[in-house]
Amino acid sequence: MSLVEISGLEKSYRVGEMEVPVLKGIELEIEEGEFVALMGPSGCGKSTLMNILGCLDRPSKGRVLLKGRDLSRLSDRDLARIRREEIGFVFQSFNLIGRISNLMNVELPMTIKETARNARSDRARELLESVGLGHRLDYSPSNLSGGERQRVAIARALANDPSIILADEPTGNLDERSTTEIMEIMYELNVGGRTIIMVTHDVETTKDCSRMVWMRDGMVQEVTS
Amino acid sequence: MLEYVLLSFKADRRRALMSSLGIIIGVVSIIALLSVGQGLYGGVNEQFGDLDMDLITVRPGSGMGMGPGDRPASTPEEPAEFDDKDVKIIDNVLGVKDVYPLKTTRVLLSFRGDNTSVSVIGISPEEHDDLKVVVARGRFLTGSDYKAAVVSHDIAEDFFRMDISPGNQIRLYIDEEDRYSDFKVVGVLEEDEDPTYASSGVYITHKAMDDLLDVEEYHYDSIIVRAEDPAQVEALAEEVEKDLSRIHRDEAYNVEALSTRFESMLEVLNMIKYALAGIGSISLIVGAIGISNVMMLTVKERTHEIGVMKAIGATTWDIRTLYLLDAGMLGLASSLLGIALGWLVSDFVGSVANIPQEVTLQSIVFGLLFGVVITTVAGIYPANKAAMLDPIEALRAE
Repeated sequence: MSLVEISGLEKSYRVGEMEVPVLKGIELEIEEGEFVALMGPSGCGKSTLMNILGCLDRPSKGRVLLKGRDLSRLSDRDLARIRREEIGFVFQSFNLIGRISNLMNVELPMTIKETARNARSDRARELLESVGLGHRLDYSPSNLSGGERQRVAIARALANDPSIILADEPTGNLDERSTTEIMEIMYELNVGGRTIIMVTHDVETTKDCSRMVWMRDGMVQEVTS
Repeated sequence: MLEYVLLSFKADRRRALMSSLGIIIGVVSIIALLSVGQGLYGGVNEQFGDLDMDLITVRPGSGMGMGPGDRPASTPEEPAEFDDKDVKIIDNVLGVKDVYPLKTTRVLLSFRGDNTSVSVIGISPEEHDDLKVVVARGRFLTGSDYKAAVVSHDIAEDFFRMDISPGNQIRLYIDEEDRYSDFKVVGVLEEDEDPTYASSGVYITHKAMDDLLDVEEYHYDSIIVRAEDPAQVEALAEEVEKDLSRIHRDEAYNVEALSTRFESMLEVLNMIKYALAGIGSISLIVGAIGISNVMMLTVKERTHEIGVMKAIGATTWDIRTLYLLDAGMLGLASSLLGIALGWLVSDFVGSVANIPQEVTLQSIVFGLLFGVVITTVAGIYPANKAAMLDPIEALRAE
């Protein structure tokens, strides 16, 4: 059984009276431990696919199985639980909460999961140290550079030890050096056994990927290894 | 979660303060108004609480009160005229302990060249014990006294340049100095800290009063009746009324138990107390609307943050709880602050305006509960709004 099995996935949005199709029948399987790069021009449906994989959105048609469970049949509550425990998000714009410390940002998924206070504080500290930010625990994310912020975001994504990392252009807002740093961390995570699905425009960042999925106009156009 | 809420207060002190200001003011006014209301209630209760609950007053004319002894005033009637015959009738009613008739009039009191208008009260000295007056100097009147008077403390010490003492001569003028009588002061009463129905005045015997007024028929203008059993005072009032009606059939008079009037007064005061609390509640509700508004703004401001929280696994329920908790905590903190300030305010108002005030546990609980509940209710709409946000849309917001 694959980790992710997508078959006949369609997604359309209503814009006024019109039904606008965004995904038009995606077929894709992703195995555990893969590092998949999702590529394609703007508007081809990469982000929509990521949102559905990330349980933030529901398919209009077709099936998405995650560890054998059909996402379209799960309740909102179950979807939230999957987001919390099985998926780690890394966004292009970091999406950290600026008015709380880095430590609390990393703790947040564990706070929501109601992990005991000491345990989550220890884990958050450990994670921030592992991405080289052990000296920035009590800083606000707004006092960090882009690369540092993305490292905090990665630490947060790992908080509840998810099996899948969904990264939506994680280096899109970063300079070259930070990009290299972030991609090194991603590579290490993959080596450590986590499945990574990453949307990217930058071919440079795909050198460690096990597979590249090219999308065009709401369909998977080509898969290359 | 609680930690997160506390943190958001810390990070957003100004927002917390601004939004809670309305609640603080609301709770302050509830506490202050309730305490003044309670103080009035308690003050009156204290003033009149030791008042004789076993007393009934009988007065000619239609009374102002609505006690059970009141007679309908639909037909204009002659006021009843009470004399010793009535005193005897009342004395014979079963359950009556004492009866003392009173006659009061205004006179001009002249003492060593100074004149002051005072009340002069005709009494039966035999029952003076029951009048709750204590003699400070000299003695009280006796049945054999004639041109003797006892003056109250205020008249003796405050009304004239020189104090009136036992042994002094005073002159009482009736009808604009046409007619007068000289009296010898035999006693001065003790200062009355608790002025009741007959404390300030000059006390003389009915006989002396009769001569002073020089009227053809001497009538009492009130008869005080003391019941044997205070619990039966209202029934007794009805009995007295019934017996008097036999000879005062078509005349107006009023029989009233003091306790009846007192109770209805307390009832009114209680109503005033809650009306005041109601006024306070209005400001609390206005404050709650303020909270709701500020929270709506906060939710709008934090849309992106809410999106992030949802993306990392917060359920609709989590977000709703978070914002309700936010509101509830704000309500709790504001209410506690409001109670403390309200206490100070009512203390201050009480001492400056010299009105009685009393902060009770009841008003504290009321203020706290109302503050927290109202704030939480005010938070329901914004919290729901936040909880129902679509995570993708919310993440897009900046």
